[in-house]
Amino acid sequence: MKNGRDFMIVTNNPLVEKVLSKYYEIRYLPEENYHAILITVRDLVYAGHKLYTHPLSGSVKPNETPYKSVVVSKVPHKMNADEAAIISNCVEAYDKFTPRNRMLSDKVLGDFQLIDYTLLCGAVDYDAAAGLSKLDNQI
Amino acid sequence: MKLELGFIEIKDIQFSNESKVENGTLFVNADDVKAFVYEDDDVKACVKSVCFDIAKPGESVRITPVKDVIEPRVKVEGPGGEFPGVIAKVDTVGSGKTHVLRGMAVVTAGPIVGFQEGIIDMTGPGAEYTPFSKLLNLVMVCTQVEGVHQHEYEHAVRIAGLRAATFIGELGRNVTPDETKEFETLGIREGLEKYPNLPRVGYVHMLQSQGLLHDTYVYGVDAKRTLTTIIYPTETMDGAIISGNCVSACDKNTTYHHQNNPVVADLFEQHGKTLNYVCNIITNENVYLADKQRSSDWSAKLCRLLDLDGVIVSQEGFGNPDTDLIMNTKKIEQVGVKTTIITDEYAGQDGKSQSLADADPLADAVVTGGNANMVIELPKLDKVIGTLDYVDKIAGGHAGSLRPDGSIEAELQVITGATNEMGFNCLSAR
Repeated sequence: MKNGRDFMIVTNNPLVEKVLSKYYEIRYLPEENYHAILITVRDLVYAGHKLYTHPLSGSVKPNETPYKSVVVSKVPHKMNADEAAIISNCVEAYDKFTPRNRMLSDKVLGDFQLIDYTLLCGAVDYDAAAGLSKLDNQI
Repeated sequence: MKLELGFIEIKDIQFSNESKVENGTLFVNADDVKAFVYEDDDVKACVKSVCFDIAKPGESVRITPVKDVIEPRVKVEGPGGEFPGVIAKVDTVGSGKTHVLRGMAVVTAGPIVGFQEGIIDMTGPGAEYTPFSKLLNLVMVCTQVEGVHQHEYEHAVRIAGLRAATFIGELGRNVTPDETKEFETLGIREGLEKYPNLPRVGYVHMLQSQGLLHDTYVYGVDAKRTLTTIIYPTETMDGAIISGNCVSACDKNTTYHHQNNPVVADLFEQHGKTLNYVCNIITNENVYLADKQRSSDWSAKLCRLLDLDGVIVSQEGFGNPDTDLIMNTKKIEQVGVKTTIITDEYAGQDGKSQSLADADPLADAVVTGGNANMVIELPKLDKVIGTLDYVDKIAGGHAGSLRPDGSIEAELQVITGATNEMGFNCLSAR
């Protein structure tokens, strides 16, 4: 069983904030980019927060999508060396990808948000489709 | 478990009033295929249109964005049917006799999301990088009913492709195959008694299972909901594993890859000669770290339980799966079973960076499918099946990837199957 009460979602994805903030603690950093989210997570893991989800979730590449959501524990426990290695490797992997200069349409941004959101939902066992339906009903 | 595959060589595809296979030519009535595809309620509700086209090797044709590639097959003897749990009933497959329409594929194309990817060039330098340029492709370009959610639409297009392949496969039911081959996996004791001196080798087959557009289904079950388990290799040949993976074109395993898994083919080739091919172990690549730990623990446990001497481990995707790959490899080595891994590399455009997002000294036998960051140039081709609207946005593309003259400069990642991590291609490194 997954202990949702201990989850803190670090994200720059507005869809995650909109749908999941009622159910989970969220550190929402809308001004930060993908890389900055990884750095924030790295620092939290170094400070002893548990890393619950893989920071390079999704095969959408780090220089392709602007959005990233990672789940860590709400409170620091004890630094775990394996988890620290995973997040450090992810930061290193990010740096391999050549930055791209392109304008993304709202539709594409929305799709990137959706993918990040659904990968996250799969990880925390939240019904992604139900969350979207609730959102549709609110609009 | 024994499966006989009867290969029917398809040498040409033509549209026709009647659907049939005759003298190596597949005649297709597109309306009949479409009617069969639309018998499914989800397809009806989510897919606005389906258009068929034919792309042949050597033609100046670019297919993009590609979703899945599927080989038409039909079960002619024995239990079950193709794509069990999805199209056919969920009966166990992998025994009896199956006819294969070899040399062709059904390709589903059209955008699922706004950054959809995947290119198959039928000629030129791009064709060299994809195995699907050598096939006669019946391409289905699908469009979405407005307002349908992407996850519903992805499901519907997946089903549409499988249904089209089922329809086409059925045309081979009463055709005499050009070649027949048998594949057999023995029981544990039988295998030990028959090949007492051969090393016992298994295949740890990692399945993409991260979430929407990153899924694989086993007998219709989403792989992220499964525990690591054992499967007969012949079950995968009969469509037990299908792809719901729409991202990372170069290293995704399409349904065609699962049906024609080269690791399975090569292990069967050596079975009884240099090794005893025991079975496949399927395991997932979930995002949640505790799932990774559980799944890799189980991979190692099963390898030990089966008394394997060695395994081949193949992964699917980039980043997150690298961690599963290394966890599997490390733990399997630690229980005394030798490993060789198959992966591809994201080593930067100059090829000088660390190739994987994870590593371990125990992962010391590696086969690479190539560097997905390598920059390639694709010339303009005369005809596009699908749309070029997404080329600037796809993995490996960048602003200006699609030049005004119609040529494309992008990373190898854009090409479907280019750096496949089952080794279904010719790229490597020296």
